[in-house]
Amino acid sequence: MESSWYWRVALVVAVALLSVYQLVPSWFYFKLPPDQRNTEAYDQSVPRWAPDAKKHLNLGLDLQGGIHLAMGVDVDRAVKAKVARRADEIADFLKSKEVAFTESRPVDGGRRVEVKSASADAVRSAVLDAYDREMFAPGGAAEGAVLFAFKDQILREFQAKAVEQAEKTIRNRVDKWGVTEPDIKRKANSQIQIQLPGFKDPQKAKELLGRTAQLEFKIADDENPALDALRATVPQCPGDRAGPALPLPEGGCWSVESVELPSGGSRVTTILAANTRGEVEKLIQEKANPLLDPQKNVVGIGEHVAATAEGAFQARYYRTYLLRAKTELTGDYIADAFVSADNSDPLRQGRPVVAFRMTAEGGRLMDKLTTENMRRRMATVLDDKVETAPYIQGRISTNGQITLGSGQTQQRQYEEANDIALVLKAGALPAPVTISEERTVGATLGPELVKKGTVAALIGLAAVLAFMVLYYRASGLIADVALVLNGVLVLAIMSMVGSTLTLPGIAGFVLTLGMAVDANVLINERIREEMRAGRTVKLAVQQGYDRVFWTIFDSHVTTLVAGFVLAWYGSGPVRGFAVTLIIGLFASMFTSIVVTRAIMEYFTRRDTARLSV
Amino acid sequence: MQFKTFDIVPHGTKFDFVGKRHIAVVLSLVVNLAVIVWSLPAVNGLNFGVDFAGGTEMEVKFAKPVDPGAIRQGVEELGFKDASVQTYGPEAEHTFLIRVGRIALMSDADVKRVTDAVAARFPVDTWNFNAEIGDKIDFQFKTAPTPEALRAAVEEAGVRVRDVREEAGLTAGTRSFAVITQGIQDKVERDLAARFGDAAPEVRRVEYVGPAVGRELRNQGFKAILGAMALIVAYVGLRFDFRFSPGVIIAIVHDAIVTLGYFAFSGREFNLTSIAVILTVVGYSVNDTVVVYDRIRENQGKYKGKGLAEIVNLSVNEVLGRTFLTSFATALSLVGLLVYGVGTIFDFSFAMLIGIVSGTYSTWFIAAPMTIWLEERAARKKARGGTPAAAAAGK
Repeated sequence: MESSWYWRVALVVAVALLSVYQLVPSWFYFKLPPDQRNTEAYDQSVPRWAPDAKKHLNLGLDLQGGIHLAMGVDVDRAVKAKVARRADEIADFLKSKEVAFTESRPVDGGRRVEVKSASADAVRSAVLDAYDREMFAPGGAAEGAVLFAFKDQILREFQAKAVEQAEKTIRNRVDKWGVTEPDIKRKANSQIQIQLPGFKDPQKAKELLGRTAQLEFKIADDENPALDALRATVPQCPGDRAGPALPLPEGGCWSVESVELPSGGSRVTTILAANTRGEVEKLIQEKANPLLDPQKNVVGIGEHVAATAEGAFQARYYRTYLLRAKTELTGDYIADAFVSADNSDPLRQGRPVVAFRMTAEGGRLMDKLTTENMRRRMATVLDDKVETAPYIQGRISTNGQITLGSGQTQQRQYEEANDIALVLKAGALPAPVTISEERTVGATLGPELVKKGTVAALIGLAAVLAFMVLYYRASGLIADVALVLNGVLVLAIMSMVGSTLTLPGIAGFVLTLGMAVDANVLINERIREEMRAGRTVKLAVQQGYDRVFWTIFDSHVTTLVAGFVLAWYGSGPVRGFAVTLIIGLFASMFTSIVVTRAIMEYFTRRDTARLSV
Repeated sequence: MQFKTFDIVPHGTKFDFVGKRHIAVVLSLVVNLAVIVWSLPAVNGLNFGVDFAGGTEMEVKFAKPVDPGAIRQGVEELGFKDASVQTYGPEAEHTFLIRVGRIALMSDADVKRVTDAVAARFPVDTWNFNAEIGDKIDFQFKTAPTPEALRAAVEEAGVRVRDVREEAGLTAGTRSFAVITQGIQDKVERDLAARFGDAAPEVRRVEYVGPAVGRELRNQGFKAILGAMALIVAYVGLRFDFRFSPGVIIAIVHDAIVTLGYFAFSGREFNLTSIAVILTVVGYSVNDTVVVYDRIRENQGKYKGKGLAEIVNLSVNEVLGRTFLTSFATALSLVGLLVYGVGTIFDFSFAMLIGIVSGTYSTWFIAAPMTIWLEERAARKKARGGTPAAAAAGK
């Protein structure tokens, strides 16, 4: 045998062994009853020597039950809201500049702002002076009026932000339910796709996801010692004053936080922390709330990131804030929020901060609030989650800014500032979402489909295997070996790349088995032809494989093209089909060209070899 | 040296595919035209599923036999006149597919009726309807009604309401509500439980697709098919010869239309999976065509003296066995799906089977003979335009 043959055999054996090894987690995954698969029972059942337990074959929503939602963000309405707010702002602005005007209102289906004034030119130049980055004055205004419109680029930016906000809000809410492995992603056309595998209550999901985000400002009650009593009833967290060290014990624990007080001193307050939001909520319910007067205080929950014990990794944990019950201000009063550079202090020059602008009424409320609570912390709570709690450093009226904690890289600070700006705007600029697509699969349907699909696939496989042996005898048997390896290889790759098996995906799997056989049919027919032409078996096999290689390659590529187009176009189950098809085609090329050839060459290595083909 | 072999398709056949091409072309044209005409909305149209038509589809399983007529009647009494109820899967499983609300976007008349009705009852400040979204009207009030009252007002105007939701107001001091229309699922579910409580109806699967999304998925689906076809034709052209392209185009369009014919004539639901089938058929059926074309090219080099018609016939006959067997093997793998597949998967397998058969047929009778017609045309063109030598060289 040539030396290349040994290499190829080694490759085939290695691929086969590796494929079987990769399927070990999947084996343990499917051994469990469906309701235990996504729990810790699974993680524990996978033996230590197996590959990463996360790399198992996933079932699509259509096979394991769950909810698929596509939410459309109404960017059009978000733009209208922005225009309406800008009309109010312009009115405030003109008043402050003492430019005479009679009315500022949205017109043209809410896309432009019209300002009526006797001195139209003065209005135009004053407004454009202040807003020329964002607005321009198109012509076509009536006598005694000026039209203003947003620049296209600003509108596009703004629409993109609206979708980003909606995605963030949805992510926050889904996070709260503790669904295992939710999948949220942004799609084209202002759509957000949400997949909740195993989630059983579509009504609840729709209700919660559809609500407009609620942003509130609350003052932190850092002087209140009520929660210090928790130190006696809850276990203590590992870590020090800098914050708890992860991982936190199951069920949550207490830790401390050093806060500055308005009087000038500081105090060590008690906080609760846990690995999941559910655990924190339980602790609050059972331990903290009995210590508090619900008229005066509430406990807010925030999400933080800290280094784990291994040091290299960061993980999320949830912690509490003791807040005053009263909502001081809501997001309705915020006109705009954006990331800006700090100009207030030479030392902090250029650092990213969150700048925000309140509406006129909001400015008055904010001014009162900040004057009364100077040097206290003010928590911004979005959808019941404390996003940030900075100290009030100075009086804020219409224009305010939130300074971020130091000790982080500039990049990280910028990201955080951007997040907070989004949060502030989420309350300010509603980009309502509507459900544009909803697919719910009940829990009983999935297992039945899996069973039927498996039986169907096995029947198809058996039929193909039988046909090959009956028709091609020995070389059919070789093709069958390759075919079984092909099936194992496809499943192994799917587990490795974490693609999901859907109902159409099962059909795609079966179909690729048929197509893998195709390649062997082409090869065997060619070998027959070469043998009829009077070549020796050895030569016929060699020529057969050589001549048919490009045919097999071409036929796989054309089907791959269809597969890739489908993967790009389709979503959910259909995409699952496309991915299975693509993986199957690659595997088929390998098994039919490399695997069967290596075996065939072994049996026809002598010139006098006989072959039933 | 000896070997045992038997051939399903005997070796050394001499069918005259080229000679039969006129009959084949007429037959294919008739079938293709029939599919296209039948698929036209004005004639019969495709039975678009919720993926493409929008609306709600529910798969409901009962514990014992239930009369589908009674289900339809129940659903229609809820005010859904366009309901369809189908048996799904084997009779013994008492499973039905209920499909309601396959309506297009709200018409301007609907919107006007609703807004007039609401304005008559409540002090509407402004309202807004975005035709791109199509099933949502925003109302803005200075003094707002309760969501329930608003819902009642809209439903009285004859439009079904899925949800009424408060939104943040556009300007200070106003309250906004979004009225989202076309809700049916909860109503149907409740009604079924009330009517057939003893048969324990279980809603196993619900699919809702908004009208705008449905329209978009449909347009994109057809674009995807055309895009895949263009890419495949380009690939075959680059790998072989752009002279093959017309034949390949005709063959894949032919197979796509015949596959579509399954959905058109059986009245089975045309949905996302159907697009997947057609795309796969297009990618797969071109394989046989490529095998034959490859052989034609090989033989053109081998038998310089022979006429093209003879070469095409010889080539098709030489690879007859393998074009048949490859299709047969792939079809064989679908057997299990055809027996055990329900609904979408059955349709997938059956349409795929038809696509495979059509692919083999079009290779033998359409794509291969096409080359003769095209080459003859090219030769005539050359003879008219160029010198006789060029015409001979271009053979």
